[in-house]
Amino acid sequence: MLEFAVSPPFDPQTVGIPATAIAAGVPWLSLSILFPIVGALIVPFFPDQGEGKQVRWFALGIALITFLITVAAYLNGYDPGVSGLQLSERVSWLPDLGLTWALGADGLSMPLILLTSFITALAVLAAWPVTFKPKLFFFLILAMDGGQIAVFAVQDMLLFFLAWELELIPVYLLLAIWGGKRRQYAATKFIIYTAGSSLFILLAALAMGFFGGGTPNFEYSVLAQKGFGTGFQLLCYSGLLIAFGVKLPIVPLHTWLPDAHGEATAPVHMLLAGILLKMGGYALLRFNAEILPEAHAQFAPLLVVLGVVNIIYAALTSFAQRNLKRKIAYSSISHMGFVLIGIGSFSSLGTSGAMLQMISHGLIGASLFFLVGATYDRTHTLQLDEMGGVGQKMRVMFALWTVCSLASLALPGMSGFVSELMVFAGFATDEAYSLTFRIVIAGLAAVGVILTPIYLLSMLREIFFGKENSELVSHTNLVDAEPREVYVIGCLLVPIIGIGLYPRLMTDSYSSSIEALVNRDVVAMERITQPTAPLIRSSPIVSTLIQAPSIPQA
Amino acid sequence: MHSAADYAWLIPVLPLIGALITGLGLISFNRTINRLRKPVAVLLLSCVGAAAVISYAVLFEQLGGAPPVEHLFVWASAGSFSLPMGFVVDPLGSVMLALVTTIAFLVLIYSHGYMAHDKSYVRFFTYLALFSSSMLGLVISPNLLEIYVFWELVGMCSYLLVGFWYDRDGAAHAAQKAFIVNRVGDFGLLLGILGLFWATGSFDFQGIADGLSAAMSNGTVPGWAAIALCLFVFMGPMAKSAQFPLHVWLPDAMEGPTPISALIHAATMVAAGVFLVARLEPLYAQFPSVGLVIAVVGAITCFLGASIALTQMDLKKGLAYSTVSQLGYMMLAMGCGAPVAGMFHLVTHAFFKAMLFLGSGSVIHAMEDVVGHEPVLAQDMRLMGGLRQKMPITAITFLIGCVAISGIPPLAGFWSKDEILGQAFNTYPLLWAVGFLTAGMTAFYMFRLYFLTFEGEFRGNDKTIQAELLATAGKSADDGHGHHAESVHESAWPMTLPLAVLAVPSVLIGLLGTPWNSRFAGLLNPEEAAEMAEHFSWSEFLPLAGASVAISLTGITIAVLAYALHRIDLGELVAARVPTLNAFLANKWYLDAINEKLFVRGSRKLAREVLEVDAKVVDGVVNLTGLLTLGSGEGLKYFETGRVQFYALIVFGGVIAMVVLFGALG
Repeated sequence: MLEFAVSPPFDPQTVGIPATAIAAGVPWLSLSILFPIVGALIVPFFPDQGEGKQVRWFALGIALITFLITVAAYLNGYDPGVSGLQLSERVSWLPDLGLTWALGADGLSMPLILLTSFITALAVLAAWPVTFKPKLFFFLILAMDGGQIAVFAVQDMLLFFLAWELELIPVYLLLAIWGGKRRQYAATKFIIYTAGSSLFILLAALAMGFFGGGTPNFEYSVLAQKGFGTGFQLLCYSGLLIAFGVKLPIVPLHTWLPDAHGEATAPVHMLLAGILLKMGGYALLRFNAEILPEAHAQFAPLLVVLGVVNIIYAALTSFAQRNLKRKIAYSSISHMGFVLIGIGSFSSLGTSGAMLQMISHGLIGASLFFLVGATYDRTHTLQLDEMGGVGQKMRVMFALWTVCSLASLALPGMSGFVSELMVFAGFATDEAYSLTFRIVIAGLAAVGVILTPIYLLSMLREIFFGKENSELVSHTNLVDAEPREVYVIGCLLVPIIGIGLYPRLMTDSYSSSIEALVNRDVVAMERITQPTAPLIRSSPIVSTLIQAPSIPQA
Repeated sequence: MHSAADYAWLIPVLPLIGALITGLGLISFNRTINRLRKPVAVLLLSCVGAAAVISYAVLFEQLGGAPPVEHLFVWASAGSFSLPMGFVVDPLGSVMLALVTTIAFLVLIYSHGYMAHDKSYVRFFTYLALFSSSMLGLVISPNLLEIYVFWELVGMCSYLLVGFWYDRDGAAHAAQKAFIVNRVGDFGLLLGILGLFWATGSFDFQGIADGLSAAMSNGTVPGWAAIALCLFVFMGPMAKSAQFPLHVWLPDAMEGPTPISALIHAATMVAAGVFLVARLEPLYAQFPSVGLVIAVVGAITCFLGASIALTQMDLKKGLAYSTVSQLGYMMLAMGCGAPVAGMFHLVTHAFFKAMLFLGSGSVIHAMEDVVGHEPVLAQDMRLMGGLRQKMPITAITFLIGCVAISGIPPLAGFWSKDEILGQAFNTYPLLWAVGFLTAGMTAFYMFRLYFLTFEGEFRGNDKTIQAELLATAGKSADDGHGHHAESVHESAWPMTLPLAVLAVPSVLIGLLGTPWNSRFAGLLNPEEAAEMAEHFSWSEFLPLAGASVAISLTGITIAVLAYALHRIDLGELVAARVPTLNAFLANKWYLDAINEKLFVRGSRKLAREVLEVDAKVVDGVVNLTGLLTLGSGEGLKYFETGRVQFYALIVFGGVIAMVVLFGALG
């Protein structure tokens, strides 16, 4: 076993580690990564009669303890007021390669770590009816849990690449073995897309790590301090944008998603929508915006435009979809558009909104996909044409669907509203872009406000409203929601409504990190001002205003 | 020493708690809670009742001259941005609080009778309490953003309640339409709020008004932008208060249970738009051109609603178009710079229109015993008639409502409508003429409703009319249960009591707003009230008021001649001679057809085309795109000079071009 000695920071340039983390001495993050993986390794040896009735309790226990570990990490070792890295752990792994087991969490990663362990625990609960090869299933789910926490917690780009790749394998298997009819096709498409695009991560990581000569070093804090030239930054940025754009996804790199989501089973679905998409957004913030600020200043308008395309394009395709799962899948793409606009907004309010949108969609998307699965278990069809009037028999299910759809269409009082509002307000009021550009983008993005209820409410109408579809009723048993299902949705709704009523519950936990990040980007934009045409960027007179909050360069 | 206003936050919170308890109960213990009808009704009634008590305490405090009270806390913050939320109690708010809680309380009592046979009685009460809570929250919101929050929540409640009988296709369609049309308005409202926040850095009503005038005087915000922002914000009230051309959802919303039509779609929620415009008065007062737009929209709506109401055969739809028309009057007042008059009409209209709707509910409830639960039959006036003998209380209160809305002194509608017309006469004489003409039409169609429903012979057992109606609606006649009663009977006390209670303010409340001594204006705007009293002269008041009464009486006379005495046959006189006009009105100015063709089908077609592009082009070409972006990534090194946005435009333009191309080909 590795020894998790928490060594003091040897690099004077890295951000100082709070004394509490060292004093506590508990390697919380390593624990939260390795615990589910060790748990997964025990699964094959766990006594089970074959139907998965015992092993699922074991998996649930492991997932819950992992969640508790991450919560404990948040409560004991994490101070939301600090913008830098916390809970740091460093173990030199392969010094020749410059590979270090470096973990840490700041405002960008901590909320997503919590989200991951939370959604995974609920996904295990959602996987209760799985009877086909249950051991392998729960093994993969738990392995994925650890892998995804690692993606958010590692502080070394090479390690990040490894975690990113390792997490693909469980998803591939989960898709290919338990998926729907076209699962092979979907799984292959998924793996080609993601693995192919992640090549760019490796290339960019190597390029950035070896930049400047000397011993290669891939740690984020070191990379951020290297003075990359603008051309180099643009090159790395565009590569990374493709890699993360596939994951987020950004139109037109999204076509794997409807297939993958359309074929996955409900628990996998929850993980795909709840966490995997957030890896793209997180990585965009972490690498593109934080480590390559000059390139980000150049690319940000593109991100904003792509965000708007995402919102409108995916909303329209979702409206036309007749397959329930694919409909919700497209709605995920549409919601991710707000993340893109927020990241490109150069305002701490907008970027904060992007972060909140990721968390919020993680919860809402997971709840909708869970409901899709639960509905499919009863109707045995996903075609909207074959449903109708289901609300007569499934009243509680109808209520849950209504609440989650309303959350998804950004009803005030729920988290989606706050995050979208923050993105809107941040983008519209920040002076980084010219007025015309802001008006056009805000206007187009607001079209999404009209389109989202159109496709969600018409979906509800086709499933639940109206007379019962006699053909459907004749060969299916439409039992209402069972307590387990109500409980899963309830668990997701508590944070959705909690954040909606008082968003500072969540935003306070990361706002200082986001502010530091945005300041960095704004300073970088100042350094390269003037190159962009007045069509998009505002005049220099206004941009001097935002120079005020620049951070002192240590 | 605490004043009642300090506890005003309890007013929306109490119904919310009630709704949460029953709502969670319904989700977790559906069967048990559904059986506990009485306890649920008592719980929710006491919640709303307690809220009403506090509201009246607040109102009397404000009447006694207490200063406005505001309590705020920081709700969200990021960077230098912080957003306060909280509540404010001022005269305008306190009037609305008292109004909403009163009508909500009465409607809850009424619902106990109306929904007695419904399986989802408890769910209905829960929704009602939830709605009351959101509406009360809207009323005490101190800033635009909080208004927006509750604005959406009342919209959601409306969606849930219109679609309450979700097994009916009509209800499903209407609920969706209501929400989406309102979202179109909210789209403008949201953009307007954001723009105003950008321009002024504030969400606060007074702050926005001051900030905008300051920003305009120092040139940071051009005049056209300020006007555009004001108009964007106005889109919200246009949708919520059913103003042309966004009124299309309101008549359809009558698919909901009748108590809902009374509470939400006549008295409270639809008035929220008018209320918001009144709240924004400091902002709108700066821009006469915005005022003109509001007034014109109001006048068009007012005329449109009344004209369509002339030919409606469905009792509730007739009342719905009447509501559209009356909301137009209120908006007209707002546009004429007379928010006090508009608010006064809002209050009087809330009472008598709630009463009329509840009366129509009582009629429909009675009719259902005879013709069954098919709304096509139960709500059609061709099957009614002669109900006065069987349902005296309903008939008398309905008649009081008709007189009140027609503007016959001294009933409520006269004072408020006359004040609006007087203001319009002084500001925009042309719009006054429209309002004046509408007053005559109002009197005519209301008495037409009354005579067709309550006088003459009962036609409910006429099978040929029933069959005809069903055939027109495209429905089959076999509703299975043929155990219908032969005649109607008066509704039970939970339904007649609210009618009787509402009749009192419908008669008397107008006296609070007489132009020579307006208590109402004295509360909302003491200076204006003093000015009104000072400038009041009988020689100015009498001709205008006399003219209004005269045209109302003309309308009533025509209705009497046509529908009570059958001296003239309007069908032969007008409908046969000018069939286009009749068709135009019967088809609701063809607006629904245009909507259906242009927007509904258009958006479906567009969506299908985009999906086609997605499935065939993007999915197919994506590998090629990957290669291309690889190439351009290489090329991007040379893009340092900042032509990234050019690249962005190409991507955006490319997508649009593909959609257009496939639209043309497919």
